[in-house]
Amino acid sequence: MGGEEVKVAVPESVLKKQKRNEEWALAKKEENLALKKKNAENRKLIYNRAKQYAKEYDEEQKELIRLKREARLKGGFYVNPEAKLLFIIRIRGINAMHPKTRSILQLLRLRQIFNGVFLKVNKATVNMLHRVEPYVTFGYPNLKSVRELIYKRGFGKLHQQRIPLTDNSIVEQGLGKHGIICTEDLIHEIITVGPHFKEANNFLWPFQLKAPLGGLKKKRNHYVEGGDAGNREDFINELIRRMN
Amino acid sequence: MCRGGRMFAPTKTWRRWHRKVNVNQKRYAVVSAIAASSIPSLVMARGHRVESVPEMPLVISDSAESIEKTSTAIKVLKEIGAYPDAEKAKDSQAIRPGKGKMRNRRYISRKGPLIVYGTEGAKLVKAFRNIPGVEVANVERLNLLKLAPGGHLGRFVIWTKSAIEKLDSIYGSFEKCSEKKKGYVLPRSKMVNADLARIINSDEVQSVVKPIKKEIKRASLKKNPLKNLNVMLKLNPYAKTARRMALLAEAERVKSKKEKLDKKRKPVSKEELAAAKAAGKAWYKTMISDSDYTEFDNFTKWLGVSQ
Repeated sequence: MGGEEVKVAVPESVLKKQKRNEEWALAKKEENLALKKKNAENRKLIYNRAKQYAKEYDEEQKELIRLKREARLKGGFYVNPEAKLLFIIRIRGINAMHPKTRSILQLLRLRQIFNGVFLKVNKATVNMLHRVEPYVTFGYPNLKSVRELIYKRGFGKLHQQRIPLTDNSIVEQGLGKHGIICTEDLIHEIITVGPHFKEANNFLWPFQLKAPLGGLKKKRNHYVEGGDAGNREDFINELIRRMN
Repeated sequence: MCRGGRMFAPTKTWRRWHRKVNVNQKRYAVVSAIAASSIPSLVMARGHRVESVPEMPLVISDSAESIEKTSTAIKVLKEIGAYPDAEKAKDSQAIRPGKGKMRNRRYISRKGPLIVYGTEGAKLVKAFRNIPGVEVANVERLNLLKLAPGGHLGRFVIWTKSAIEKLDSIYGSFEKCSEKKKGYVLPRSKMVNADLARIINSDEVQSVVKPIKKEIKRASLKKNPLKNLNVMLKLNPYAKTARRMALLAEAERVKSKKEKLDKKRKPVSKEELAAAKAAGKAWYKTMISDSDYTEFDNFTKWLGVSQ
């Protein structure tokens, strides 16, 4: 737009741009205010949820101890319920693999050595694991393992990108529609294999763990033979401590 | 003695010397060259000295077409400010470097102005042609090799009035066909309005443009929440109270343990000792007397008591 000679001789284009910039600044300010308010509310909600979860975990632990003591008192045994959650770590490299087992490992998102993923336990997954036993080690993670993995090495999948979980907004962006808005929610969903476990687990990028400090015993053998492969139930937690 | 044999691929006269170019493309080129000759920046970029030229395109009256003497021609050039260009051409006459010297291309020089005239048989041809650097052409027979020498657009052209007037009939306009070239219309430009700045600042564009993002958030270094409390609090605000409670509980435990140990390590006073012993004895008494041990009778003597 050319210079319309007004008394002040300010070109019309400059005036229009000024007006537009003001509008934008106003809209931005309002947006920021709304965002701040929402964040403050969310904060409170997250705090309460985290408190509730802490109580839940505590209670669960105490309940387990109580049941064990009761059974011992009666002279019987308390059998733990079968675990619902597994943590799998791939312990072998990529060369010389049968194509079918290779595809199963790809389905489990274990494409690299020392990659780890959580997995729900059901007949389908158990059979899959049986096929790939010599290449992985797995077990039942406890709360500390899950927490440490997600806090230290948790990355989320947003728009096919591996984004570090540095803020709850990232979790909200990825899983907000399932009611998971913070890392504590995510941990809770994973550990108590909740209704949206599939989405929550898929949101988590496969964990890239370091080679275990202190080493593995013998990759080629099964755990029961003194090696490392296959199901090692609760001892997976010790391995996770060394690999996290 | 020299080596025998013939050269590789002996050059032949029946080499394909000529090339076919589409007529429309040839005309496109000439038309573009003429257009470029009227833009001072392009003419200066080509190297012509047009600083003292009053106007581009430079048009002189038809009286110039009847100039007969070269001396008047030079005077005219000086008047219109075209002489520095012709001078440049004269000063640049030199012997060509390289083998072209011995291949009938001995001398080189810069190109000066091109004078374009309109009427056939004008006298100015003879007047201007001997001036070094200056070339003459009839508007009906313009040569691309002269309008864009070396393939570079923007030759400095001096038009006579009748020449410029004839251009419309020779090449037509954007709507009207040319009269001399059958069915030829000037080529359309790629952009009708090539002024980008104006387009960008127009209302139509600015009204739908989004605000500039001044603060670009870049990925920062990920800090470990298990080690860094502030980062942990960002993710889990309850962590602070949880940690505080854990610390307090720990302190409490430590204190109570210390108390217990201190109590145990303190030497027991006489009264407490006596009280403890008496309590033990009483308990033993109640135990043996309340016992529903079935074979008590056998052991009364050994135990030395009765129920």
